[in-house]
Amino acid sequence: MEPLVEIRDVHKVYRRDQFDVPVLNGITLAVPRGDFLALMGPSGSGKTTLLNLIAGIDRPTRGSIVVDGREISRFTESGLAGWRARHIGFIFQMYNLIPVLNAFENVELPLLLTKLTKKQRREHVESALGIVDLADRMTHYPRQLSGGQEQRVAIARAIVTDPTILVADEPTGDLDAKNADETLELLHRLNEEFQKTIVMVTHDPKAASRAKHALHLEKGQLAEGHYGYEEKAAGA
Amino acid sequence: MKFAKLVIRNLFRKKLRLLFTTALIAFIFFFVSFLLSILYAFDNYSDQGKGYNRLAVQSAISLATALPYAHEVKIRQIPGVADVCKLQWIGAYYKDPRNFFANFAVDHDHMASVFDDYVVDPKEFEAFKADRQGALVGDELMTRFKWKIGDRITLKRQIFPYDPELTIRGVYHHPINKSALYYHMDYHNAAVGEWNVVGTFWLKISDPAKMAAISQQIDAMFKNSEYPTETMTEKEFQKSFMSMMGNIKLLFTSISLCAVLMVVLLAAITMSMSARERVTEIAVLKAIGYEKGLLLTLMLIEFMSVTVLGGLAGSLFAMLVFWKVNMAALTSGFLPSFSVPVEVVVKAAIASAIVGLLSGGLPAMRATRLSVVDGLRRVV
Repeated sequence: MEPLVEIRDVHKVYRRDQFDVPVLNGITLAVPRGDFLALMGPSGSGKTTLLNLIAGIDRPTRGSIVVDGREISRFTESGLAGWRARHIGFIFQMYNLIPVLNAFENVELPLLLTKLTKKQRREHVESALGIVDLADRMTHYPRQLSGGQEQRVAIARAIVTDPTILVADEPTGDLDAKNADETLELLHRLNEEFQKTIVMVTHDPKAASRAKHALHLEKGQLAEGHYGYEEKAAGA
Repeated sequence: MKFAKLVIRNLFRKKLRLLFTTALIAFIFFFVSFLLSILYAFDNYSDQGKGYNRLAVQSAISLATALPYAHEVKIRQIPGVADVCKLQWIGAYYKDPRNFFANFAVDHDHMASVFDDYVVDPKEFEAFKADRQGALVGDELMTRFKWKIGDRITLKRQIFPYDPELTIRGVYHHPINKSALYYHMDYHNAAVGEWNVVGTFWLKISDPAKMAAISQQIDAMFKNSEYPTETMTEKEFQKSFMSMMGNIKLLFTSISLCAVLMVVLLAAITMSMSARERVTEIAVLKAIGYEKGLLLTLMLIEFMSVTVLGGLAGSLFAMLVFWKVNMAALTSGFLPSFSVPVEVVVKAAIASAIVGLLSGGLPAMRATRLSVVDGLRRVV
């Protein structure tokens, strides 16, 4: 299957005060289009950093990241923001909805950056909230929703622009078992029914088991080896 | 426009904080509008003779030093001087020192030609001229003391050794100077014992282009006399008169600037708190594609809305208050016909927008500059 994300020999070093802290050490992998990939590993292993690099909210210290045929590490800050708006849908652990906006307005936020008319935006938002089964909660504010509902609004916000990739950082980390299950089922549905490519960071084996593939990071390196996943993907 | 909802919702995010911040800004801008209006009134007062081609001749030593009547004869001989009118500041008050207002002894025969911007009913003016103890009173002063034509009034002395006993014979109307009283120079001179001296000579100049030359000519003429003169335009004279109260303009401007600076600092604290609370939200918006410049613009619009709202509220409230309050009575005539003009409200609105930009600029820049990763990691 054609790789959507190609990561080659990526290193990431953070500078904390006068110290260089290496987080990723030569990661190489490929994520095929339509995949549902779970990144696992202990705290500090670099899984969230890798997710951030794929999502274009951070830049590698060295190496190349190609998404959908474009080398994103070479984009300007402004170019990268525009690229994220078109290609990436974010799902966070803490949902990160804007508390002063209701569910409809939160989902509409990414669409305000497009040239869609008000009517078109409404159609898109209603459709996205329908997919996450929250069409009847459109006027509710985050404080009026349960954690699971908030996360579903966040997922609707992530899919409303029909992005190329969905990136999810511990999407079930703040949810109880029932809501976590529903969220994972929703992600599974988005992957199966809508062929969304999903990259999810999790430390929960149960959550990882819902993905098509799982990779493990240890001290900034893939436990499966530099090309392990690429080889699996090629053979898939 | 499509981002208006986001700005408005953020504006009303913490209603109590918005209320207190706006109230604080409004309070300070009320005070600043008051001070600026006083300066505006002074400037306006200085401009009252604009276009009437008048020169004022006073002693080169000080305004308090008198000039001899004899100077008038020599001044009249200078080509271009159309007329000369003697004017003496009396500085008396009515009944109580709190009832202070501007009062002058004037050369009644030459008043109409030199001060031709003062409008008086011809019959009343004739009656004023005919009565040696007659007085001409500004319309606003008449209202303030509920006087009417024919009333006999006695002013209390402060400078000269007599209490002027006057009969109101006429009311004058003037766009700026509405609260003064004028009576006969002859009566004053007789009351003080024929000193034959006066504080100022006011000259009507036939050709405005010659005002500077005539001014120099007069001062040169008396340069080596016992009573040297200083001749100036009406505007310069009014400014020099105002400066007798100290550099009030500098003082008021400094106080206004300090007050505005205080608002900038206080607003900056609030804006910083507001920006800090939203670091994660800003990071989320950046993550989903909002550019730094757009977020900075939205935050600045929000912050400036708070300060402009406060500034306008304070300034408009000042306008309303000083429209209702009789400042002439409250300030013993120091601020006759005082009001907060529209120009001051406009200035306050502009100043408050600048306050918003200055106080909100740095917090907004810091919040939007933070990287998405750092913003998402931040626990507020």
